[in-house]
Amino acid sequence: MATAAQKICSRLSKSSVAFRFPSLLRSEVRNSKCHKYLQSRQISASPAVYGTIKLDMPSLSPTMEQGNIVKWHKKEGDTVSPGDVLCEIETDKAVISMDTEEEGILAKVIVPDNTKNVKVGTLIALMVEEGDDWKNVEIPAEAVKPAAAAGSAPSPATATSSTAQTAGGAAAHAGADLAGDGHLIGPSVKKLLQEYNIQASSVSPSGPGGALLKGDVLSYINTNKLDKKAQEAPSPAAPKLASTPPPPLAAPPVGPAAGENYVDIPLTNMRRVIAKRLTESKMTIPHAYATIDSNVGAIAELRETLKADGIKVSVNDFIIKASALALQRVPRINGIWENETLKLSPSVDISVAVATPSGLITPIVFGASYLSVDQIGNTVKELAGKAKEGKLQPHEYQGGSFSISNLGMFGISDFTAVINPPQVAIMAVGTSRSVASMSGNLSKMKVTLSYNSCAISEVEATRFLEEFRHLIEHPQTMLAGTNLDTAAEAFAF
Amino acid sequence: MVPVEEVQVLHAHWSSDSITGYINPKFYIDTFSVDRVPCQDPGLKQESKQHSCMMLSSFRFVIGRSPTNSWILGLTQGCNMSTATEMTHDVVPYKLHRLEQGPDVQVKCTRDEAIKYYKQMRTIRVMETTASNLYKSKIIRGFCHLYSGQEAVAVGMEASITPDDSVITAYRAHGWTYMRGISVKGVLAELTGRSSGCALGKGGSMHMYSKNFYGGNGIVGAQVPLGAGIAFAHRYKGEDSVCVTLYGDGAANQGQLFEAFNMAKLWDLPAIFVCENNGFGMGTSAERAAASTAYYSRGDYVPGIWVDGMDVLAVKEATRFAKDYVLKNGPILLETATYRYHGHSMSDPGTSYRSRDEIQEVRQTRDPIGKFSELATSSGLLTKEEIKKMDDEIKKEVAAAAEAAKADPELPPEELYSYIYKNPPANIRVRGCDDTIWGATK
Repeated sequence: MATAAQKICSRLSKSSVAFRFPSLLRSEVRNSKCHKYLQSRQISASPAVYGTIKLDMPSLSPTMEQGNIVKWHKKEGDTVSPGDVLCEIETDKAVISMDTEEEGILAKVIVPDNTKNVKVGTLIALMVEEGDDWKNVEIPAEAVKPAAAAGSAPSPATATSSTAQTAGGAAAHAGADLAGDGHLIGPSVKKLLQEYNIQASSVSPSGPGGALLKGDVLSYINTNKLDKKAQEAPSPAAPKLASTPPPPLAAPPVGPAAGENYVDIPLTNMRRVIAKRLTESKMTIPHAYATIDSNVGAIAELRETLKADGIKVSVNDFIIKASALALQRVPRINGIWENETLKLSPSVDISVAVATPSGLITPIVFGASYLSVDQIGNTVKELAGKAKEGKLQPHEYQGGSFSISNLGMFGISDFTAVINPPQVAIMAVGTSRSVASMSGNLSKMKVTLSYNSCAISEVEATRFLEEFRHLIEHPQTMLAGTNLDTAAEAFAF
Repeated sequence: MVPVEEVQVLHAHWSSDSITGYINPKFYIDTFSVDRVPCQDPGLKQESKQHSCMMLSSFRFVIGRSPTNSWILGLTQGCNMSTATEMTHDVVPYKLHRLEQGPDVQVKCTRDEAIKYYKQMRTIRVMETTASNLYKSKIIRGFCHLYSGQEAVAVGMEASITPDDSVITAYRAHGWTYMRGISVKGVLAELTGRSSGCALGKGGSMHMYSKNFYGGNGIVGAQVPLGAGIAFAHRYKGEDSVCVTLYGDGAANQGQLFEAFNMAKLWDLPAIFVCENNGFGMGTSAERAAASTAYYSRGDYVPGIWVDGMDVLAVKEATRFAKDYVLKNGPILLETATYRYHGHSMSDPGTSYRSRDEIQEVRQTRDPIGKFSELATSSGLLTKEEIKKMDDEIKKEVAAAAEAAKADPELPPEELYSYIYKNPPANIRVRGCDDTIWGATK
C-alpha cells in the first residue's frame, strides 16, 4: 500500500546518515532491542517476512470465478510502482491488465504465463518491499496446494518437472535396462529407441542425475524428424499416454504439434456454461421420464392436403402446436419451479432447441397456444435463422415455460433430455418410423417427457402425454383453434 | 558488546568537540567527545564533524557498554525529529471569476497540521486500496467508486470547515465519509455489507451518512439542489454554518445545477458549490463533454475560484476564503482540479479512454500525498522516518479494520423492514421482501 510518499521516503533514507554508518549499525546494534529501528530497507539482510505482499487472483469482472494468466509484464526482481501493470488476465469476458496499488519488488511469480482456469483468490505472486531480499522470499504453504490442486491445467513449469520426475521414477522402478553410461533406461524409452533405431548415447538426457527420459527421446525425434523403422506389429498407442513430452512453454496448444497426432480444443466458455447448467439440473432436480408412442400418419396426410393448398408446415410445427395445446389442458406442466413453489405460467412460451456451431440454444415461441401452425412454423424458421447467425437477443431465448428438443428430424429414434431449470419439463422428440400393424404400415413417433418429479406427478405427466398423443393423432383439432372450454376446465384441475 | 539499549536523547548540547546528551532518565547524563560520536564513517572528514554534531539533534541515539566497559554512543538511522514547526507554502495561483480578491497565495502550515493532513490523506488512500482489493476478492460486491487521487480535496476542505457545517457529495463518497467522522471500519464494513457499517451495511458504497454529512448520492447531480436546500436550512435556523456541495465535472453539465445556483444566489444562501474536476465524467473527458471546462466560471452570476485540487493546503485556504465569503455574500463555486487514478467504478479498468502513461505521470508528478510529503520533509516539518512510521501505522490500522469488516456479522433478515417507517404498523410487509420474514415492529 505504499505510494509516492513512501517512495520518496525510501529514496531519501538511502541518503540518510544512518546509511552512511552501516558498519556501526551492523556490527554493534543488530539483534538488539533497537533492532526495529534498524530494519531499514537498505540494510536488512534477513529474508523478509515482514512486508511480504501476497497477490491473489483478482476478480476483474462481476461474474468471473476463474481466469487465465496470459502473460506477466514484470519479471521476478523487477521494481513495481503503484499503477504498474503486473500481468494480463483473461476473464470470462476479455483480457484485462492487472495493475497494482502496491510498491515494492515482484519477488516470486507463483502462477506463470499461459496458465488456465486459475480460481479467484488463488495466490499468484508475492511482492516484497523495496530493499528486501526478494530472492529468499518465503513462499507460503498455501501457494503449493492451489498451484497443484488448481486442477484442470497445471502450470507448464509444474507439468514439466512432474513429468520428468514421473518418467525418472518409472525408469528407476519398472523393469529397467542400463544405458551405456550406467544409467537406467525405462522400458518405454527403450522401446522408443528401438523403434526409431536411435543410440541412447546420441540423445542428451535431462532426467535426475543424467537419466534418459522418454521426453528427451521424443524431442530428439522431433528435432531430427526421424521416422520409425519398418514395424512388424502395429504400434500401440503408447506415445499418447502419460509421459508424452510437455507442450512447448510459449505457445498454447492450438494445432497439432509436430510429432503429436491429436489436437487440443480448449473448452469454450459457452460449453463450460452448458456443462455447469446441465450438471446443476441433473444434480438438483429429480428427473423422471415417461415415453409415449403416437401415430403421425394423420399429420402426414394433413400436410399433404395443406401442401396442395400452398401451405407448407412441418411435422415439428405440429408437434409444437400439439404440445402448446396439451400444456393448456394440463397447465401444471407449463410452470416454473422456484423456491420450492410451482408457479403456473400465464402463457405457453415454448423454448425450442436449435443447434448452432457453438452449442444448443433455445429461442422461444411465445404464446404458442394462440398461434396457428403456420405462424409457429414461420416463427421457428425466423428464430432458428437468427440463432445460427448468433443474432438472438437475450429476450428471445431467456424465459420460456416448456422446452422441446427434436432430434427426430435428424433421425434419432428416441432419447431423453435434461430439464432446463427453472422449467419443470422438457420433451424429447424422436423420429417417425414405420411400424407394421394389422391395418398396414403405421408411421409412429416416440416422445419422452423428462419432468421434475417434485413439481409434477406421474399422473399429470401421463395426462399431458395422452393429450399430446390425442392432438397428434387428430391434427384437425389443432387447426380448429384453441379449445377454450377444455382449457378452462383444465385450469380447474 | 553487551546488550544495547536504544534511548532517545531528550536534549543535547554540543560544542566544537563534545556533545552532552541528556538521555532518558533511566540512564544518565553523559558527555561524549565528538570523536566518540559515530564519526567512524571514513567518508566523514574531520572538518565536517561539527556539522555532523549539529545534525545530531534530530537523530536517535544508541548507547551501550563495550567489553572494556566504556560507553559507546551510536545512532540509529534517520532523523526522528523535525527541525521546523511551521512552513509557508506558495500555492499554484488561483483563478478568479467575479471576485476582486481571492484566497491567499501563501499558506501557512504547522507541524501538527502537517501530521494531521498527511495521516488523513494516507488513510483514505490505503482504505481505498484495501477496498479495491476486497472488491477483487469478491468480498465487496455491487457498486464501488474509489477516491484515490482526490484525497487533497476532502482533507483540505474539512480542514477549513467545522463539524457544524454540512457536506453533501456524489457517489464517490468513501473519502468524505471518513473525513466526516466515520471510522475506517465503519466505511469498509459498509462496503462489505456488515452491521458495523455506518449505514448498518444497508447502503454500500454510495449511501454512507453521518452527522451533518448528507451522504453519497446515487443519482448524478441530484445532490446539488439538496445541497442548496441544506444551505437554506442553515440560513433558516440562523446558524453560522455553510453547506459544502460537491459534484463532478460530468454532473456539471446538468440543468438542475443551474436551477440550484439560481435559487442559491437569489436568496444568497451560505452554499459552497464544489466541482471536483477529475477530468473524466465516467469515461468521457471533460473536454469532450463540456462547452466550457472553466467550471469555476460556469455559475455565471455566482463567483468562482479555480484551485489546485492536488494541493491540500491550497484547497484548505480556498475553502477558508469561501466559507468566509458565503456567510457574508451568498454562494460561491470552487473548482478543484484533481485526478482519479482508478476507473469510474470497479467495472471500468480506466485505461480505455486515457493512457496508462497519463495516469503514471500524474502519480509521479502531481500525487497529492507524494507532493505534500515532499513539501513537509523539504521544509523540515516532518521527517522521512516519521512519515514511514505513520505509513506503517496506517497500514496496520486499515488492515485491522478490513479484517473486522470481513468478520463482522450481517444484519438479520428482519432488518429488511426497519427504518422504512417511523412508526411501522404491526406486522408490516414490504413488497419484494420475502414474506416468510415479518417486520420488526419495534
